[in-house]
Amino acid sequence: MKLRYIILTFIGLISLSTFAQEDISPERKQAIDSLAMEKVKDLSKYISIIGNKETSFSEANRVIERTLELFAENSQIGVSSLYRNEVKYYDVRKYLNRLMALNYDKVNIKWYNIQYISDLERQPDGTYVGVITIYQRFEGMQGDDLKYVDTTKKDITIYVKRKETQIGGRTIGFWDVMLGDIRVAETTKN
Amino acid sequence: MRINFLILLFLLSGFNSLKSQIVSDILGDESLFYAETKQVNQFFRRFNNEEGPDGLRYYKRDKEYRNPESREKYLNILFDYKNTALTTNLRDAFKLDVLNPDSNLFLNFHSDGWFAEVKTKFIYKGAEKSVSFFLELEQENMGYKWVITNVYFEPYSEILIERKVDSSKFLHPMSHEIDFMNLIKVFNDQKNIDNYTIKSFQPDFLTLFLYEFKQGYFQFKYVENLKFHFFQIPGWYFEIEQFVRPENNSGWLISKLTKISKEEKNILLKYIYHN
Repeated sequence: MKLRYIILTFIGLISLSTFAQEDISPERKQAIDSLAMEKVKDLSKYISIIGNKETSFSEANRVIERTLELFAENSQIGVSSLYRNEVKYYDVRKYLNRLMALNYDKVNIKWYNIQYISDLERQPDGTYVGVITIYQRFEGMQGDDLKYVDTTKKDITIYVKRKETQIGGRTIGFWDVMLGDIRVAETTKN
Repeated sequence: MRINFLILLFLLSGFNSLKSQIVSDILGDESLFYAETKQVNQFFRRFNNEEGPDGLRYYKRDKEYRNPESREKYLNILFDYKNTALTTNLRDAFKLDVLNPDSNLFLNFHSDGWFAEVKTKFIYKGAEKSVSFFLELEQENMGYKWVITNVYFEPYSEILIERKVDSSKFLHPMSHEIDFMNLIKVFNDQKNIDNYTIKSFQPDFLTLFLYEFKQGYFQFKYVENLKFHFFQIPGWYFEIEQFVRPENNSGWLISKLTKISKEEKNILLKYIYHN
């Protein structure tokens, strides 16, 4: 997995340079979007594994650790439902632990083939920030019965930062992408 | 992906519920997600015709960038169609102004003339209360950040805005000669304290909030609701809100629209800020 990020990073985002904070060109934006989507897809995959009752406890915990590596420090997940105004905020680890502990025999998580990627805006500290919106359908089964179904919209913060590394004595600049806070809102419920 | 793209084009060819129904029958939920204005960012892009029906951004070099014909189709889907106050005449007048080739009217994320209103829940002195924050984008270094410009909190308003005017309540002009000893009467008359302040006095709720927040009186619970006020189109005010519903006409849409003069703008701002 990490190898894929590195390859993508070095194909699309690499630049040999000192660290001037230039504007992001449309081509570079596309490369950053691809890298961000890779991370979002990995998040989706990890969530499906963690939520799957056939995943062993130790494997689920290992995947939780991998999932946390996708996120910037102190990221939170804010969850709301259609029938409740209240938004509940969870640390990512707590959210994933709750997912692992859900009381269904089987969980199906379907990710719709649609995503919306915002522009990247620069923060005062020079980091760029954007939001990717995706949709997910969750089905919780008990035996053969479908006990719970909902569709949620997930607005996922992405942080894009210039970093540098030394390769063969040369300083290589690259753009790194981390996930941040996620807003989860229910759109339909059965 | 391709069929969804074509379907959004179909929707953009004119909005009506029959078309929406046909599309929903073909695609199920997914068509709704395509039609939905999913982010405020997308509202800006659609309003300006800065993205394609596939949601991909147009850049200045692209032929379709800000194309007026496609833009008109996008504008059509950016209104809350359930709001009967947004009449066809009103929408058409707005579109006519926006699309006027001489005026070049586009929304700009980084410019003044728009701000957020965020309604939140706090625990205040043991009870759940709503607090509304007004935020604007501010530039710092090479980047931007949202900053709080104003707060509305009903308990403050009840005490400070609804002023009791009583012309018999004043400090007489020779009070200074008696070392303002008559202040004792002022401060023993809690309800009428406002009458002793300068005419132009305006309470500053943000200062009050910060003071009380730092004292530990407020404990944040959650964000309850969000909307944006726009004054970027000269002669017009509009508000956008997020509509969560299983329909094509959903997401971030214009929920209020009104023609306003410069004078009315100030009155409206006072109304929005509850001043």
